[in-house]
Parts: sequence; structure tokens; C-alpha cells
Amino acid sequence: MNRNTKQMNPGNKEMNSRKSQSLDYYLILATVGVLFALSVICIFGMFYFKFAAVQQLQPLEKMAYMARMNQVVVPFIIGLILLLGICVPKRLLSAQWLVRFGVALGVAGFGFSLWLGVTSGLIVVLAASLILQLVVLILAVAGSKRLHFEKSGYWVRVGSSLIHLGFILFVLDLLLYKHLSLHLFLFWVTTGSSVLGMLCCFYSQGMAATVSKFRGH
Amino acid sequence: MENLIPLHLFTQVGNIVLWVLLISATVLGVSGVVNLVRPLSGSQRLTGYLFILLTLVFLAGFGWISWFHYQVYLHLPLELPPNMVEYLNSKLFSMNRGAEYGIPFYNPGEPPRYMLPLWLENEKYYFWFMCYALMALLGHYRLNHPRLRGALHILLAVQVGILFFAANPFVDPLPKFFSAVEPWFVQNLQTGQRFGLFMKLYPKMVFYYNAEYMWFHPPMLFLSYACITMTFVTSLFMLVRRDEAIETMGYDYGKLGFFMLTLGMLLGYPWALKAWGPNWWWDPKICSSIMMWAIYSTYLHTRLYAHRPFMWYFSSVLGIVCFLAMLFTFVSSFFFPGEHTFV
Repeated sequence: MNRNTKQMNPGNKEMNSRKSQSLDYYLILATVGVLFALSVICIFGMFYFKFAAVQQLQPLEKMAYMARMNQVVVPFIIGLILLLGICVPKRLLSAQWLVRFGVALGVAGFGFSLWLGVTSGLIVVLAASLILQLVVLILAVAGSKRLHFEKSGYWVRVGSSLIHLGFILFVLDLLLYKHLSLHLFLFWVTTGSSVLGMLCCFYSQGMAATVSKFRGH
Repeated sequence: MENLIPLHLFTQVGNIVLWVLLISATVLGVSGVVNLVRPLSGSQRLTGYLFILLTLVFLAGFGWISWFHYQVYLHLPLELPPNMVEYLNSKLFSMNRGAEYGIPFYNPGEPPRYMLPLWLENEKYYFWFMCYALMALLGHYRLNHPRLRGALHILLAVQVGILFFAANPFVDPLPKFFSAVEPWFVQNLQTGQRFGLFMKLYPKMVFYYNAEYMWFHPPMLFLSYACITMTFVTSLFMLVRRDEAIETMGYDYGKLGFFMLTLGMLLGYPWALKAWGPNWWWDPKICSSIMMWAIYSTYLHTRLYAHRPFMWYFSSVLGIVCFLAMLFTFVSSFFFPGEHTFV
């Protein structure tokens, strides 16, 4: 019995890994779709800006135009955040739990949006993603083997975690734009995290060589 | 202005630089076409030397532009008559009250001077194409692939042609800047007129010409443009043949370009808050830049799955779309009026 179980485990593992790989693939395709929609809205914004001569409008009308465009883009930003909300814990959870978590997050975000408004709903989703991402980052820095990443390598994992952290912070920061000091502080944290993340992720070999040289290995 | 700064000398030497660039780029371009059609192994070393020469001339010309800007710094301070200083500072004091970002007070001991960035007006094309020359030179020596080299040379020749015929930074240098400041230095203005002109020139000096972000935001974007051009060339080759070395090279430039683009865009954000306040969201240039970033980001995401046959071609097509989006973003400043229009 034990033997049989032992024989089945690698197969299950392989199946799970395949499942999570194809889930990863579909998540990336979904991200591509949302990014494409955002690009289309941007192009629409450009032409609208030109043909409605927004540049010549009074400041109040200009602000109204910006508010309208913000409304158009909000569903896609929410989509991107939800995808991010699923992408972040995928490092920690199996495919099955990931879907459950994604649904729970979506429901929680929707519930808070109905209860306290869209901004609060978004902040709940972002805060949950931020906490999870911090856990992922800490585990990545500690070199945990429990994390699932598309690419292996210590610095790639740390870098990827930092980039995602930077993105979550950036969106969160956009929601706090009225509080200028906090807004700018968070902005610089975002920038630092993204830059360091890109350096670690894109130049992982150089990073590893520099660190081992620094340690005298 | 000639008696204040050596405009004529700048133009004369600059024209020599551009002629040398044009001649060497034409030779490279012709050899590029030949290599693209039928690779010639014998000409590779010669074109390599010519490419190095061209890049060095590009760098020398950039040094010449830097020297010219230093002359502007030295010889064109915005000096006010002593009797106006107190009045001006009291005006600035009341203007700064309640503003998020104030304008510095006037110090008669150290009058404000222009520290012009090296990528203004037509100079930005010079900087952009010089960055491409450097990237393409690295690409030339990284892969011994005559057809790829040929394509890189042809694109460089096209860029030098644009510089020579349509965007020469040495003939009539910085026309917008000089037309704005010329009345200050040349005309005999009355006190009130001088004060009015100062109040027009000084804020633009603080928030635009001398802005510290000017030294990071535009050059990083131009560096990323050069990288995107390299990714474009490699993506074209990827569509024709499955060559891992070319793909890896394109991806390396893609990573550098994305890094520069993201950092450059991020560094534009606090500057926009400072210079324009909240009135710049959904500006056409911002829209097109976000679009370009989204496409670039998609390219890097799909690249993770480039080993799949469909994704190989999809990622190549995205590399090409990135380049088209970059051209569209750049050209949009001219056709879509917005906050970036004057840049």
C-alpha cells in the first residue's frame, strides 16, 4: 500500500506541476489581454484628446475629461489587480487553492466595493496582495524551496518578487494621490523596488557574481 | 547673439562632424544592403572599422554639443538690474505662498544660469541615434552574422540621413530656446518689460531647462528607444529563421530597454507633478507611453514561453509592434497637442 502510494506521488506531482504550468500560461495570456485592452483605451484617449481639443478646455472641463477616462479604465485596472492577486499567491499555493483564493479575493473586493465604495474594494484587494507579496519576498530572500516560479535561480526569484511588489505599491500609490507626501514617499519606494527587482531579475548572473565576489568566494 | 556665444564656430565644426557621419554611414548603408542580399565575408572587418570610426565621430560631436552648452551656461546668465531685485523677490514670495513647489529667490551674487540638457530640440535626435550607434556596434561585434550586421548598418544609415537632412542640431542650433531668450540679451528693454520677460523665462528655466529630471527622464527614454530598435531588428530575423543566438541578443536588448523605459517613465512622474500639477493625466504622450510600456511588458511576458512554436512568432511580432508603438509614441508629440507638445 505504502509502496503504491509512493509510486503514485511522483505522477501526481508531475500532473500538478503541469496543471500549474498551464495555469501560469493562461494567466499570462489573460494579462496580455488586459494589457492589450489598456493599450486600446490609451489610443482612444489620444484621439479623443485631439479631436475634442481637450488642451483648450477650461481646467474644470479638463478635470471632468480625466475623471471620465478614469472611469473607463477602472474595470481593466481592477482586472489587472485581480490577475495580480492570483499571480502573487501562485508562488505559494497549489493550482486548486489558487483558484479558491482568487475567487475569495474577488468576492471580498466586490463586497467591500458595494459596502464602502470601489476605492475601498480595490484597497482591500491590494492590501491582501501586498501582504502575500511581502511573504513571497521574505521566502524568496530566505531561499525557500516552497515557492513556485516560472524560472529558477535565487536572484531571479528575488527580482521577480520585488517587481511585483513594486507594481502593487504603484497601483496602491495611485489611489493615494491626494495625500502628496505619502504619495511621493510610496512612489520612491515603488521606484526603488522596481529598479532593484529588474536588476536582480534581468541580470541575475551578474548579481550572483558580484555578491559572491563581495563575500570573497 | 554671435557676440555673446560662438554660434558660428559651433555650426562650422558641427557641419564637418555631420558630413563625416553622412559619408561613413552611406558607405555602411550600401555595404549593409549588399550583405543583406548576398553576405560578403571579406567586407566584415572593414565595415567593423568603419563602424567604430562612425561611433567615435558621433561621440566627438556629442562632446562638441556639450561644449556649446557650457558656453550658454557661462555667457547667458539672467541678470537683473539691482533696483529690481527686492521687488522681484517680494513677488516670488507671494507667488510661492501656498504653492506645492516654489520658485527659488533671485540671488544677485549668483544670477540664474541655463544648465541646458544635452537632448533639447534637434539634439535629442542626435543623442538617440548616437545611442543606437553604440548599441548596434555592440551587436555587430557580438554576433558574426553578416545579414544581421547589414540590417543594423542600413538602419544606422537611415538615422544619420534623418539627422543630416531633417534634424541637424548644428545648423541654427536650439531655435526655440534662442528665440525665447534673444530679446533678453539683444533688445534694449524698459524696466517693466524686462521684469515681465524675466517672469516668463525664469519659471521655465527652473521647471524645464534646469530641472534635474531633465538629466534622467529623456536620456533614459532615448536609450530605451535605441534598445527597442535593436529588438526590432532581431525580431524581424526571428520571423524568418529560428535562430537562438539572435533571439537571445534581442532579449538582452529587450531587458535593457524595458529597464530604461520603466525607470525613465517613473522618473517623469514626480517631475510632472512638480511642473504641471495634477492637470496632466490622460495627456496623449502619457497615453501612448503607457501603451508602449504595456506592449513591451507583454513582449517580455510572452518571451518566457518563446520555446513554444506559436509563442516564438507571437513574441517576434510583438518585438516589431513595440518598435511601431515607439515610433507612434514619438511622433504623437507632434500630432496630438498636450503637455509634451513643446518638448
